Amino acid sequence: MAPLTCTKLSVITITGIVTQIFGLSLFVFGFFPVKPALPGTSGSESFFAPECDFVGNLSDTTLPSDQLKSLYQELSGIPPSFDRLILMVADALPAEFVLGKNEKPPHKQFKEAMPYTQSLLASGSAIGYHSRAAPPTVTMPRLKAMVSGAIGGFLDVAFNFNTQAMMDDNLLGQFFRIGWKMVMLGDETWLKLFPRLFKRHDAVSSFYVKDTVQVDQNVSRHLADELSKDDWNLLYFQILHYLGLDHVGHIGGRSSALMAPKLKEMDEVVKLIHSSINQSQGNRQGRTLLMIVSDHGMTEHGNHGGSTYEETDSLALFIGLRNHVFDYASVINQIDIAPTLALLFGVPIPKNNVGVLIREAFDSLKEDQHLRALELNAWQLLRLLHAQLSGLPCRNFPCDAFYDHQSSDSSECNHMTENMLCCLYMEAAALYTSWKSKRSFESTSNKDYSSTTAAYYKFLKSASEWLSRRTTDKPVNLLALGLTTLFISSVILSSLMFCRLREIYHRGNQQASNLKYSMNGWSFDETFIVSVVLILVTCMTSSSMVEEEHYTWYFLISTFYLLLLRETAQSLSSVGLQSFFPMQKGQSGEGFFRICCSFLLLISGRISRGWHQGGVNWTSLPDISKWLEQAGSPYVKPLQLMSAVLVISIGLFALFSIESRGKCLQMVRLSFLISGLLVLLHIARYQDYALSSTNYGGTFLVQIIYAILGAVTTGTIVALPWLIPLSTSKIFPADNTFSPPFSPSIQEKFPLVELRDTLYVVGWAYILCWCLLQLLLQQPINTTPILLLLLQIVAGVHYFARSGTHLKEWVEIAGFHCLGMAGHFALGNSNTLATIDVAGAFIGISNHSTFLSGILMFIITYASPMFILLSLVMYISTKSVVHLVIPEKANAGDILMMLLGFPCLVPLVLNSILLTAYTVVLLLMQNHLFVWSVFSPKYLYVCATTKPTEKEAAAHSCRSKR
Amino acid sequence: MKEDLEKSTPSKISSFQVFLIHVCCGLALAVGFWVAHNVYSINLISHPTSTLRLIWAIEFPVVILLFSCFRQKPEKCSYLKAIARGLLGLPVGALLNALGALALGAPAGLQYFERTVSWSLLMSSLTFVPTACVYGSCWTDWHRIFACTKPKGSLDFMLCLPAHGAVIGAWFGAWPMPLDWERPWQDWPICVSYGAMAGYVAGMVGSLGLALMHTGGGKQLKAE
Repeated sequence: MAPLTCTKLSVITITGIVTQIFGLSLFVFGFFPVKPALPGTSGSESFFAPECDFVGNLSDTTLPSDQLKSLYQELSGIPPSFDRLILMVADALPAEFVLGKNEKPPHKQFKEAMPYTQSLLASGSAIGYHSRAAPPTVTMPRLKAMVSGAIGGFLDVAFNFNTQAMMDDNLLGQFFRIGWKMVMLGDETWLKLFPRLFKRHDAVSSFYVKDTVQVDQNVSRHLADELSKDDWNLLYFQILHYLGLDHVGHIGGRSSALMAPKLKEMDEVVKLIHSSINQSQGNRQGRTLLMIVSDHGMTEHGNHGGSTYEETDSLALFIGLRNHVFDYASVINQIDIAPTLALLFGVPIPKNNVGVLIREAFDSLKEDQHLRALELNAWQLLRLLHAQLSGLPCRNFPCDAFYDHQSSDSSECNHMTENMLCCLYMEAAALYTSWKSKRSFESTSNKDYSSTTAAYYKFLKSASEWLSRRTTDKPVNLLALGLTTLFISSVILSSLMFCRLREIYHRGNQQASNLKYSMNGWSFDETFIVSVVLILVTCMTSSSMVEEEHYTWYFLISTFYLLLLRETAQSLSSVGLQSFFPMQKGQSGEGFFRICCSFLLLISGRISRGWHQGGVNWTSLPDISKWLEQAGSPYVKPLQLMSAVLVISIGLFALFSIESRGKCLQMVRLSFLISGLLVLLHIARYQDYALSSTNYGGTFLVQIIYAILGAVTTGTIVALPWLIPLSTSKIFPADNTFSPPFSPSIQEKFPLVELRDTLYVVGWAYILCWCLLQLLLQQPINTTPILLLLLQIVAGVHYFARSGTHLKEWVEIAGFHCLGMAGHFALGNSNTLATIDVAGAFIGISNHSTFLSGILMFIITYASPMFILLSLVMYISTKSVVHLVIPEKANAGDILMMLLGFPCLVPLVLNSILLTAYTVVLLLMQNHLFVWSVFSPKYLYVCATTKPTEKEAAAHSCRSKR
Repeated sequence: MKEDLEKSTPSKISSFQVFLIHVCCGLALAVGFWVAHNVYSINLISHPTSTLRLIWAIEFPVVILLFSCFRQKPEKCSYLKAIARGLLGLPVGALLNALGALALGAPAGLQYFERTVSWSLLMSSLTFVPTACVYGSCWTDWHRIFACTKPKGSLDFMLCLPAHGAVIGAWFGAWPMPLDWERPWQDWPICVSYGAMAGYVAGMVGSLGLALMHTGGGKQLKAE
């Protein structure tokens, strides 16, 4: 086979990457379905039984609102129980704070923080529920679920920061159609979802996460006005969306000191609204329902997004229903709110609703009205079932009306899902008919009524469960195509890598005479790396291994370090054995240095492992960060400053260690020094969460740092290769001792040395820039893991630079890749969406920009993998490639290929193998219980990891083009 | 030539001796378990520390007494000296094992201290002590057996394979630890100890097999 040339290599690599991106996008769009929604909105037809060929009759939507309202009322047969609705959304309020957990009352401090609400609950005038939110527990999908009753697709998370108007059938649209006046105060997400519906609104942005006070004052300031307004005599819907609690959670977690005052504030609002309702109840005739809901809960650390109990446990509190006193709060689904409100207020149930009526809300109705409500809900769900199951056997039954014939077959109710649902429906409908006919003879008993309701609820519950669990039909062709494309790309990349490997083996064998350790067969490290890949692929198939993935990475990386130690021990004594070797002294010094490096690796790896107890199951175990946080800021702050100073000084030391006095290099050093000092200033003065809610000085400073860093780094990268007057000076003084026999050949290859010097400077510029950014953006507690990561990288690079040919280049790069993943988890990330640090994404942004904060969030979340990829540039420069180059033949292309081939290829290959494997796993597991909570977030992470890997590879190839 | 070879590996060991040693060591482990279970009615899961200590207390004397018989250069080194070397090797090996386990992520809290100590004592007597008894502090031999894994002869195999087996077994035994099965044996160091002992036994079987093959091959060679 012809040897690869540089151009060929890069062309094939780019082909592989493009194929991979293409396949990935195919698969993602096939797998994460955009929610299949019934088109149109429910109109008067929803009050009739489903017809055989029901076509949405849209004639009535053109009616004026008051006529439509009376039409609905007439058709439904249920007089609206209320005329006004006040919906108070307390963002991220866990139901546990109000209702307690496991039938136990809430924590004392929370109970005392909300005295009025608690008294309402105790007296029975409020009914509280744990309303289970479906993952992803992020605000926009949850709001959509609450008003439409439908469960959104998983990709809604991605659109959360890019909220779009809600086009599907929903409560607000229905209210608007019958002429309600709606007012919204609070989160601007509502405005984005429903742009033209509100008569008055005052929106606050949810993007200043550090602001916990102003954001709620802006909502409450209009409240007294609104409550006393006259234009809301009837038909009025007010939404209050308080964000402060969510912000408190993001900043300090559940046990934040700000939590109790915030709850108190919420309680005051409830008291204000409730007393004004009571007042108006006296002199006006409208009845008002006050609902207090939360869109989702929060974890112990105040984050949300995943599917743990803490996150999905949201609150639904009805104030104004008939008095009930419950010993404990029952559990409903969040989507149940939509049909309940629809029927309580006399509008059709939204078309795509999956929820079930909340039983207690209809207790005040008469029996026939309650049953009618159940029937309406059942019809609506049946329509949805028809739409999703074309082969539903009871499809034609409303036309044929085989009621009596079917009802005897209740024993068949345990067949397939479709049959069962159908049969349950028949049973309920038959009971209802018999109840109706009996009632006309005045002979209904309580028993009939209760059995009919029970039958209806049974159908509704099982249909709802089935509908919400149902993984919608996936386009098989698309998935298969995407998977094949992914597979092809991974085959392309790995075969490319094996070609390179074989070539190098070949050359190595030709030169093997003077290199004792090179390329004699398949070494232990290579076996280890290959088995690492196999282990990772295997681990991905188990949901708990995905949840606890960080343990795998930590274990593998520390095993890798131990293997390095063993490698060092091997070479150490080879010196002792071959005392005739001329440079024994230098070599033993090298050995000592390498042992130090590997101990540094081991120790810093272990500390960073203990920093965050990540994952899902063992998060409550003690770890260093918890311990420090408990100890308080007098410990955190000095530690943070110290690590920051160390990080900056390591980077600057590396830059200053180059013996060159070129002007542009001095410039680079100086500007990094300045920005380092500025970062320190920011840490010392501004990075204090309690103070910095609206700190313009801090924001300005951060913007200056961004500007300097951006300018210097781009300047270095673009200008340095052309301007650099780096002499032939060595990068490392220590390098001289390393391979004396080859030094002359390096000296002769002047461009190569120059290239390496350039790469070294550029690599350090990358590293410093990235470190400074991280110091700025990460939480204070994460500064030390960054230092540890930097230490590991530096120690690893120095180790490898001195190890010569003991280890193969691709093994080293694979080791770095592992380190990157371990560091990713050491910074507190996990495979759930909840650990994404939202608060950091708004540092230094003065006006709201989704794009910028998205970039910052990406920088924070992928700190460690990107760090590794950037530092590979520096790694290339320190790695001696002399032994690989055949001096006579070497031209520029060959040298570039030698330098860049593996650093580009290895991360790509590893990532593509993992991506393909995980895609297969995801396909196999698509019916697994955890598919949405465990596997899909992980998949999003894997996809996102793919991007930087590819970007980095692209950057490398750009350099190689130069 | 042949004599030279024999001189370079002086203390030859027959496959029967290998068999005997391995059976004794394996039996000691089994007896340890039996005593823990039947006499004290404890097991690894309920009382990890005391069980590990008990097993160690039975295994360690057996190992040190048996392996000291095969000390290198018996003319220069008395039996007692070999035992002393083993005793000295025990804490060193325990320290290395404990550090290795910590590096790989064993919990570092004080409440685990006793467990870690007893586990590393046991590991040391499975891995470190035999070689310390046989070779003492000769760096070349240690390097050959543990750093390069290039054992020569049955004696080296007898030291190398069970030790590596124990370490690798412990490594694999750590895998179920983070899973959410909520079984008591997932605690440190229970499953790791199980893995280590299983690996140790597997290593002994391998070493025995190799010893048999070796002597068989040797006889064939001689016959030719």
